Amino acid sequence: MSLVDSLPYQVPLTFGRAALRVNRWRAERAAPRSKSEHLAPPLKISPRTKELIARHYLEGRYANRHRKVAWVTSGAPVELLKALDFYVLYPENHAALCGTARAVEEIATEAEHAGYSRDVCSYARTDIGAMLSGKTPVGRLPKPDLLLACTNICQTVLFWYRVLAHHFRVPLIVIDTPFIYTEATEHAVKFVQRQLEDAIPLAERVAGKRLDERRLKETTRLSKQASELWLEIMARGKQRPAPISVFDQFIQMAPIVEMRGDAFTVDFYAAMLKEVDERIARGIGAVKDEKKRLLWDNLPIWYRLRYLGEFLAARGVAIVASTYTNAWGELAPFIDPERPLASGARTYLHPILNRGTGYKLATMQRMVAEFQLDGAILHSDRSCKPYSIGQIDQRDRLLREHNVPALLLEADHNDPRAFSEEQVANRLEAFVEMLGV
Amino acid sequence: MNTSADSVPPLPHRIETIRAHQARGGRVAAVLPIHHPRALFRAFDILPVEVWGPPQVDATRGGAHLQPYVCSIVRNALAYLLSGGLDLADLIVVPHTCDSLQGFASILIDFIHPAPPVLPIYLPRGRRASDVAFLAEEFKSLYRQLAEITHRAPSDVELMECLHREEEADARLADLYRRRAALPQKDFYRLVRSREYLPAEKFSEIVGAALRAAPNGRSQGAPLPTPILLSGIVPEPMAVFDALDRMNAAVVADDFACCGRRLYPPGKSDDPFTRMAERLLTAPPDSTRDDAIEDRLQHLIRLTKESNAKGIVFYDVKFCEPEFFYLPALRKGLQAAGIPSVTIEIDLNDSLSQQVSTRLEAFVEMIA
Amino acid sequence: MAIDIRALGIDVGSTTVKIVGVDAAGNAVWHFIDQADPRVEDQVDEFLARAREVANGNGALPLVATGYGRGLVHQATRKITEITCHARGIYREFRHGGTLVDIGGQDSKVIGIGPQGDVIDFAMNDKCAAGTGRFLENSARRLRVPLEDMGAVALSTTEEVVISSTCTVFAESEIISLIAHGAAVGPILRGLHRSLIKRIVAMVRSVGLVPPLMLSGGVARNPAISRMLEEETEVRVILPREPQLMGAYGAALLALGMTAPA
Repeated sequence: MSLVDSLPYQVPLTFGRAALRVNRWRAERAAPRSKSEHLAPPLKISPRTKELIARHYLEGRYANRHRKVAWVTSGAPVELLKALDFYVLYPENHAALCGTARAVEEIATEAEHAGYSRDVCSYARTDIGAMLSGKTPVGRLPKPDLLLACTNICQTVLFWYRVLAHHFRVPLIVIDTPFIYTEATEHAVKFVQRQLEDAIPLAERVAGKRLDERRLKETTRLSKQASELWLEIMARGKQRPAPISVFDQFIQMAPIVEMRGDAFTVDFYAAMLKEVDERIARGIGAVKDEKKRLLWDNLPIWYRLRYLGEFLAARGVAIVASTYTNAWGELAPFIDPERPLASGARTYLHPILNRGTGYKLATMQRMVAEFQLDGAILHSDRSCKPYSIGQIDQRDRLLREHNVPALLLEADHNDPRAFSEEQVANRLEAFVEMLGV
Repeated sequence: MNTSADSVPPLPHRIETIRAHQARGGRVAAVLPIHHPRALFRAFDILPVEVWGPPQVDATRGGAHLQPYVCSIVRNALAYLLSGGLDLADLIVVPHTCDSLQGFASILIDFIHPAPPVLPIYLPRGRRASDVAFLAEEFKSLYRQLAEITHRAPSDVELMECLHREEEADARLADLYRRRAALPQKDFYRLVRSREYLPAEKFSEIVGAALRAAPNGRSQGAPLPTPILLSGIVPEPMAVFDALDRMNAAVVADDFACCGRRLYPPGKSDDPFTRMAERLLTAPPDSTRDDAIEDRLQHLIRLTKESNAKGIVFYDVKFCEPEFFYLPALRKGLQAAGIPSVTIEIDLNDSLSQQVSTRLEAFVEMIA
Repeated sequence: MAIDIRALGIDVGSTTVKIVGVDAAGNAVWHFIDQADPRVEDQVDEFLARAREVANGNGALPLVATGYGRGLVHQATRKITEITCHARGIYREFRHGGTLVDIGGQDSKVIGIGPQGDVIDFAMNDKCAAGTGRFLENSARRLRVPLEDMGAVALSTTEEVVISSTCTVFAESEIISLIAHGAAVGPILRGLHRSLIKRIVAMVRSVGLVPPLMLSGGVARNPAISRMLEEETEVRVILPREPQLMGAYGAALLALGMTAPA
């Protein structure tokens, strides 16, 4: 790859990165404005978060000129692709970004007009709409050379990625991780490992290079480190008051999802942990007047994060733990950098979404106890059946067997048309009263 | 119209079949959709009886555990179970077909604790060698669970015998499909769907007799009906066939998960577990098996051409994500191939509605 | 003087029943419309009696029934769906293909019509009130605006409030909230119309938009509907002379085309 060949890629990137760096410096030096009377200001590291995300999509804009591109699901075994130098894009993250940017209605309707039912996952509709129309708030998404879908978060991604494969006419690798109703079976672990091994030749062919064992181990090690740091950061929520809320976590989780396996991600979370510890030392809570602490179950409501955060904070309620953000930390112990594929098989089988409804309830109960929580909000996300099915029973048991007040909140993680502000406000209000604030 | 009453043995009902089997000392498994290894159960003298809904039950009890955006096949199954509909079952088998059935099995195991044991089966989503190997192991694991429940241990020879009986029954099913024009539509589908509960040998016997009794060629009817192909999960309500008769439309081929997609070919391996896995993984393309869009499209085009269907009706259960994701690309591909199509959504608790009827009628008028 | 009616078409809708008589050349020469009576058969008898009266005829005229209640019209020679009938009626009116949007009181549909008048594809919304006249009716009551003035009031302002709820029930509570916060009726109505149009446009896109856009059904006379449809699609919208009668007219033409009953 000659230097001249890579210029159309390197030049705009270099300028772009420089511009983003300048933006970050400016933002860091600006006087911190607490936009809210109830919430602590955003973490000082936030300009860096924005820079990392923006840089990621900036690289994406030019990636097709110089690198091989892979689109992957959020639970995918991404380390092997990163070790092969793929630029990795997460359509789910992009869709969530569209959600926070309030761009979903416009983009998803492109998919709906093409015939995709409004009863299918709103992430998929957003992504397919972007694919069909080219519309995106991030400028331009690179076309994939390879697709990788792992079933450990849901079956929907399988059908979604078939649509992508059909449209882009590129190979699709499926890593099928059998659902764990109670325990993972040995033959399931072997199956996943075999699929990982079988995937390598295809990935190598698309990448145009051989997989370097050392590089894979290093990437895996970095993944593990970042995940462990993330776990630490979330564990700080046990403090009273909690230094960050899950609304902060929803924003700050982007690098652990999209840039897992990179060295700068480890540095990023190490710095964040330091800042969080400083907050604890100074007694700063995410919610200025924390009276009650809650758990959030299921995906965020991306297009209403600020509304929900403010609503609850104004009533002294802080959401300090979430089964969703926890998912990206709890697998860290499974990862063994010396045996990337073998440990990968177990790691990628065990995300919370690949485990039974009983395990999810046990996780919620454990978090309620460890974080000393006063209740739980279960977001009944109509777009996410694997997460939402079981919530009615989970809520009942939290209430009846563990005396944990729990609210079932009906909405959708990405589609604002499935959100009724009147209804939600009413229910939250009633729930908060029930907590005895 | 010719009825099947002539010299065909009468079609036993579900309940009498279950009772007869249990009277002989056998067990019964309630099996949720779609794919499962019938031969394996029969080797343990367990009769697998499938639960597609059933339609038209009071689904409110399902609502105590499942949100409204879960499809009516799953919600009805839960409601049916909770109101005692599955009390006759000795075990409940839930293949992992989709996210909703995944959740269904999980809440049964973790929260509802029905009296019969609940056995999930994971069906891999590919047709690769690794999928066949995994599925064979999954069936061995199922064997061990069934052995524990029944205290039996059928040999490989017994397993192969049961497999041969199932392959024979599926060969009869394929014959039935080839000769479908000779039977009235509703009778044809009643026969096809009796595969959901009849023991394989009984099914072979009845279908053999029905085909011998049937005329060679189309059943009587004056003007040539408009030929259509139906694609979806399950043909409910069965009254839809009466409606199609009234519109003078005939289903000349189908791509139903419950019916046409389960024309399992015979296996090849001498190892019974591998053979069972092979059969399921070489079945026709199916959305729930995550087959490539192009494969499903080519299959539909081929079926349409072979059967001379003039159009395709996608007849799907509301909220079925596997089906919904494929529809736009399939319809576009079909359009390019000159095959008109329409989509219709049903709920298992609706009797044949005005909406469904009108859509069907309008489509038949359009393509006639 | 007697009217020369050679065939009849009757459209039994859920809100209104329409009957049209055509002459031998297929021109609509007579029609009658009334609120739908649950006793469909009796109402149809009355309609037919009127037809006989004006036609001064005693022979039975061929009759095609269409619409929601067509199944109950035993007097019909044939029953044909509103898709086929609407396409027939509008094609006869305009003599070219395109995309027909029919918005009724309780349902709406989009029909793609080929250059020869054949139905190419269609989409129906008959399960959900949003996207039908009912959506506006409910809101009219809430806002205390007479139904026939809704369109004019919506067009009387350029300000528009976004109604984010797609469900009629949610939209109602949204309106109440908006009024409580001081939003004006005009902008709210504009937003409601916009919501309705968006649903219609989604159906149009799923069928595929082939200009021109033709509008029929009771709601077609609402001037805001055609104006906003043009805005959203950037395609000219044309209306037949009698938008509400296209189904019955098409049915009558189909009746005319039949020789003897089967």
